[in-house]
Amino acid sequence: MLLAVAMATAVDPSHDLASERSSIESTYELTKYLEYQLKEIKDVYLTYLGPPFNEKDFSPPRPNSTALTLPSAATRLELWHGLENQARLAQNQKAYSVLLAAVRELASSTLCPSLKTSLLHFCTGLDGLLGSISALMTTLGYTLPPQSANMRTNAGELKVEGFWILRELQSWLWRSAKDFNRLKRRLRG
Amino acid sequence: MVVLCVYPPDVAMISPQDPVLRIGSSLTASCSLSPDLGLHASTLFWTLNGLRLSSSSYSVVSSSVLSVTLHRLNGSQQQSGDNLVCHGADGHVLAGSCLYVGMPPEKPVNLTCLSRNTKDLRCRWSVGGLGETHIRTKYILKYKLRWHGKEKECEDYGSGEQRYSCYIPHNIALFTPYEIWVEATNQLGSATSDITTLDILDVVTTDPPANVQVSRVGDLDDQLTVRWSSPPELKDVLFQAKYQIRYRLEDSADWKVVDDVGNLTSCRLAGLQPGTVYFVQVRCNPVGIFGSRKAGIWSNWSHPTAASTPSSERQPSSSCDAKPGEQNSTLRRELKQFFGWIRKHAYGCSGMSIKLYDQWRVWLQKSHKARNQGPCIFWQLDFPF
Repeated sequence: MLLAVAMATAVDPSHDLASERSSIESTYELTKYLEYQLKEIKDVYLTYLGPPFNEKDFSPPRPNSTALTLPSAATRLELWHGLENQARLAQNQKAYSVLLAAVRELASSTLCPSLKTSLLHFCTGLDGLLGSISALMTTLGYTLPPQSANMRTNAGELKVEGFWILRELQSWLWRSAKDFNRLKRRLRG
Repeated sequence: MVVLCVYPPDVAMISPQDPVLRIGSSLTASCSLSPDLGLHASTLFWTLNGLRLSSSSYSVVSSSVLSVTLHRLNGSQQQSGDNLVCHGADGHVLAGSCLYVGMPPEKPVNLTCLSRNTKDLRCRWSVGGLGETHIRTKYILKYKLRWHGKEKECEDYGSGEQRYSCYIPHNIALFTPYEIWVEATNQLGSATSDITTLDILDVVTTDPPANVQVSRVGDLDDQLTVRWSSPPELKDVLFQAKYQIRYRLEDSADWKVVDDVGNLTSCRLAGLQPGTVYFVQVRCNPVGIFGSRKAGIWSNWSHPTAASTPSSERQPSSSCDAKPGEQNSTLRRELKQFFGWIRKHAYGCSGMSIKLYDQWRVWLQKSHKARNQGPCIFWQLDFPF
């Protein structure tokens, strides 16, 4: 539905970007909703992994495979502030593209059926978010970054990889909310 | 898909990776450090599922390899495997491995099946032995027609509470027995249940009877009539269906069952309490369907239908053959008074009661022979006065 709204708007320079701002607002709402959903799934998933993964201060080293393909949400404030609209959206688009594939992999290797279902359901939400971002970029006339290769870093699934995917996802959803707020304000001017 | 549990190998590595072991067995695992780390094996420690393992079980194999030996392993604590982790002195994670500890499956047992209206087959079984294998175990239900060879696999398995069940939706053959069994497999072994041979007609159940209606019998305050029609799916072939009725008072949990309904589609309940609401249900048994010799399986009860008797006096038990007027309340009242008097005055008849009278009436219906039974036959009394 968000895609349809975004696509329907003509790319017209004199256009007052009202519908784009409305799309951004919906996308912002979606990130808040997914952030909330993720909190619940993360707890269940970490319990499924078993201790020490579900212990409070546990933090295994971040696998290189994840580091290579998934951009971290963490970024210095001045860099984040200075991001041009296109770059800002592109970073989000790339991140969720990688994250969606990763969570899908996670889901397919999960042995617990109810958890698997929850993860797959969450993926449809992530897919919606990715779709909104891509549509927004197209409407604003930005080219979409090339699709990176599928994140099949290992033959099976990695518990630590799973831990980091969810942690990074949490950071990204938190950051994206702020990204979209900033975008909304910039587009007004 | 195989679940692996691999940690960044360029820092340290545990061997073996993701072993599958039997409960009670032992394991020696070793943590090999990369020389770039500049750590000595003696400074490391192990945890299993977050709990630190005692250093008495460690062995320093070399300056870069520390091993640990675990004895009498318990079943895996979580489905994703037990987490065996190698830590540096300050606690940070160096490497990990997932242990899958369980048992091979035992023969599945209690395989039973049910066919609804002869169209499908739903089977369920129980896990053999003590139950929990602790590791992922797959169950496959297989079946074949006894004299026809080709084996098929059931595809539609239940989940959650019903995970030991499977549903075969169509192509169920009648008149030839099936052989059905369940194969259980996991990474430690496999087991097959005994083969169950069954004829679909022997395990048929139908839908409950349809259009159950309960109504009053004129003004009679202790009777209700129940009417129904045979289940729609099989109504053209259920010539000999048996029915059963049960009813209860609105606020009671005790059902009274009427068993001798035969294959009629109506029945009169008698001996009810006047001015009372009753809930009634009917169920059906496809006895002798398509010429089967055995009794089938009772259907579910129909949805409860409620009705109330007109208000007046009270009565006890019931049977489908009660004729109206025989349980006349005036007669019963007088009988009760009479029996009370007999108990006091007639020598040796302390057991006389309205209950005995009812029993006599039932007995009268059932047989005409052997009338010389019971402690105190009515017409053999010798009144002392």
